[in-house]
Amino acid sequence: MPHYTARSRVLASLLCLLALTAACTTSQTTSSSGQTINVLAGSELKDLAPVLADFQKSTGDVVAMHYVGSLQGAEQIVNGDPSDVAWFSSGRYLSLLQGTRQRILAQQQVMLSPVVLGVKHSTAVGLGWVDNPNVTWRDIANRSKAHAFRFAMTNPAASNSGFVALVGVAQAFSATPDALQAGDINTGALKDFFTGQALTAGSSGFLADAYARQQDRLDGIINYESVLLSMNASGSLHEPLDLVYPKEGIITADYPLMLLRPDRRMVYDRLVAYLHKPDVQRRIMTSTARRPAIPEVKPDPRFPNRVLIELPFPSSLDVVNRLLASYLNQIRPPSHTVFVLDTSGSMDGSRIESLKRALLNLAGADASLSGRFAGFHNRESITMVLFSSSVYNKRSFQLGETGDNSGPLQEIRNFVNGFKAGGGTAIYDALEAAYQIAGTARANQPDDYYSIVLMTDGENNQGRSGSTFLSDYRGWPASWRTIPTFPVLFGEGNPKELHQIADTTGGTVFDGLHADLSQVFKEIRGYQ
Amino acid sequence: MGRFLGLALAALLAVGVVAAIGYSLYPRISGSAPQGLHTVRGVIGSEKQPFFQDPEVVAAFHKHGLDVRVDTAGSREIATTVDLTRYDFAFPSGVPAADKIKRDHKARATYAPFYTPMAVGSFQPIAKLLQSAGVVRDAGGWYTIDMKAYLDLVAKNTRWSDLPNNTAYPAAKSVLITSTDVRTSNSAAMYLSMASYVANGNNVVQDDTTASKVVAQVAPLFLRQGFTASSSEEPFRDYLSIGVGKTPMVMIYEAQYLSAATARDKTLTPDMTLMYPSPTVLSKHIVVPLDGGGDQVGRLLTEDQQLQQLAVKYGFRTSNAGAFTNYLKSRGAAQPPQLVDVIDPPAFEPLETMIQAIQQLYKGS
Repeated sequence: MPHYTARSRVLASLLCLLALTAACTTSQTTSSSGQTINVLAGSELKDLAPVLADFQKSTGDVVAMHYVGSLQGAEQIVNGDPSDVAWFSSGRYLSLLQGTRQRILAQQQVMLSPVVLGVKHSTAVGLGWVDNPNVTWRDIANRSKAHAFRFAMTNPAASNSGFVALVGVAQAFSATPDALQAGDINTGALKDFFTGQALTAGSSGFLADAYARQQDRLDGIINYESVLLSMNASGSLHEPLDLVYPKEGIITADYPLMLLRPDRRMVYDRLVAYLHKPDVQRRIMTSTARRPAIPEVKPDPRFPNRVLIELPFPSSLDVVNRLLASYLNQIRPPSHTVFVLDTSGSMDGSRIESLKRALLNLAGADASLSGRFAGFHNRESITMVLFSSSVYNKRSFQLGETGDNSGPLQEIRNFVNGFKAGGGTAIYDALEAAYQIAGTARANQPDDYYSIVLMTDGENNQGRSGSTFLSDYRGWPASWRTIPTFPVLFGEGNPKELHQIADTTGGTVFDGLHADLSQVFKEIRGYQ
Repeated sequence: MGRFLGLALAALLAVGVVAAIGYSLYPRISGSAPQGLHTVRGVIGSEKQPFFQDPEVVAAFHKHGLDVRVDTAGSREIATTVDLTRYDFAFPSGVPAADKIKRDHKARATYAPFYTPMAVGSFQPIAKLLQSAGVVRDAGGWYTIDMKAYLDLVAKNTRWSDLPNNTAYPAAKSVLITSTDVRTSNSAAMYLSMASYVANGNNVVQDDTTASKVVAQVAPLFLRQGFTASSSEEPFRDYLSIGVGKTPMVMIYEAQYLSAATARDKTLTPDMTLMYPSPTVLSKHIVVPLDGGGDQVGRLLTEDQQLQQLAVKYGFRTSNAGAFTNYLKSRGAAQPPQLVDVIDPPAFEPLETMIQAIQQLYKGS
């Protein structure tokens, strides 16, 4: 059976590649007005839109950006994604993942930004960390372990800044001066460090916004230097962040533009040539706070003029994947996830089936690499609150510390397979029930990570109203109010209602109307 | 049935991949050559791509009735996996790959129009640090790095912070030259050539038995680096743009450095310098003609004065030493030293044995 599955997958990717090569020979979309370059990109590149618009003005070529999480993007590319170009803050995971498949035909770095730590000014003063070149990742781990330092960092399986930070910290904590091997992962020191991770997210941009929202309960944030400098310039912080470049070293994101299709070489070269023009490099530096990638343009005074030691990066996909798996299953604070699921009558048929599939995938049915990283992890508590006209079922599952967890995962799958549609839609009653569950759990385990997913396909027509929920919410303790809700817009769900819930609780709305629900749930996992 | 389908798809795919390997670097969209010109196709090492893209080079070939189109591939790939029946000439870097192609395709003559020695791009403070550690010597404007002393330092797992009186670069990471991926890139294979010579008691590795024995000593130079780039351009760019924090020493072609030095675009900063390995190897760029058209390209590159002069502009050395020194002088760039300690790289097979053994170690790590 596994043999058969493996071969099916190989055949599928062969077909993808065939489709791709066929397209190569037929889609020479050349015209006097330029070509369209399809770019699979990380969401942090959204800030280059004005630069790309001017590229279009100057050459006639159109850059069409399609945003995707970094790890999932890498997986898509090795499986034959037909994009012309890939553009992420780092190309290393893709380089390792492609093995001998050689999807990357050429690459050119476009700009640079090290992943570093921003520390709230008063905290930095108290710790003596202001402009101090001797602060180490170890120092941060020690504060963190003592519950004296709480920071934000993105999920390394979903976002490159978190990924790069995790690799850097793991390297810094290993005993080896060389690139990390599997045996060098110092789980104990990493656990100390991540004790203080009090906020996570699936993207660097969302993390910056969430930090601003919760800044009073946090001490710092790990992100690109560019994001930290932009946060300081934004005016949204009560206290500026002092940038700490830990002494053991850092890893710099170099935003390589990677050519994936041989027949798009010329338009790729045009884009690289444009982005490497000194005035364009200066503009990128000024507007995005990333360092220039060409030596002719020197970094401006915002960037500290001292040598930043660059840490080595593992050469083995296996090492990196093990590190990610350890992070999710052993190192990070455990997560409590509450799914609030609408099984009203309108969900009948394909809707409830796609909801089931999305949840089954998280419970082990999606065996792909990104599927495994997005799935439920060791030590995770999962609660499903089912509602229609009222909340009619609440069920919790606890995944164990070690082992394969096949027992609890099977229980989840059995439970999900029993979903039946019928009845009305009592969104706010269900949401309150979820907050009761998460809030009560948090009182016992304050260091764990809590989040709520709300999936509904209709408007509230039963139980308490939105305004009642909002006034109840305002009366809850702060520890409840920092639990974000991530609503999924689906079917006839009311965008206004859902955005209000997201805005109030510090979550964000995910679009299940235009994307496959399984995909949406996978993406939300980056925020849990 | 399933197996048959799989095989058929694999065969189709192989065709597709071969078709996809190449891309024309010639700046023209239409598939046909300009009127009256004979199209000649070659597969070349990527470091010569800017040369072939140069409009003056294109024009020089046009003058002789040739429209030269090139695809790029790693030199090891050109010698092993690339289907050469589609090409009129192969132009790999390094003698080992060229010899193998010559033998496999029974090419009668080969041409060696230009070459460049391997060198280590570094920084003055790093060179001084290694000088006091007895690894580097000042050669008057340039440095030489004693490969034996360097290998000893690496064998002792020396960190930068272990070096005496080191205030300039107290990093905790290992003293290691940054190179490309030895599994794909010629410049790393040249580095392996030098290191294996020293590890083999100053003898070129000539047979598989010796090759297997030497691997244990030289593999850590690559494995301990962790992630390495697949083309020689990438680590050199890191050296230029990120600098000493990432790549205190980078194994490059001298041509890369000289080409930047003569560009006068402030790419090189005053604290950058070259260290010549002792011994070093010459990376020879060798045209292996596969038919008459390819032969003509080889001959022109070697004999046409204009093409020879253009190669000098890209930092390559030619048989005309005067042209090279004059060009550097005209651009205000310092003259590189006379190289005395130059060795030959191993033949293709022992080199391949070493690379494959390292490849296995990567898989095991």
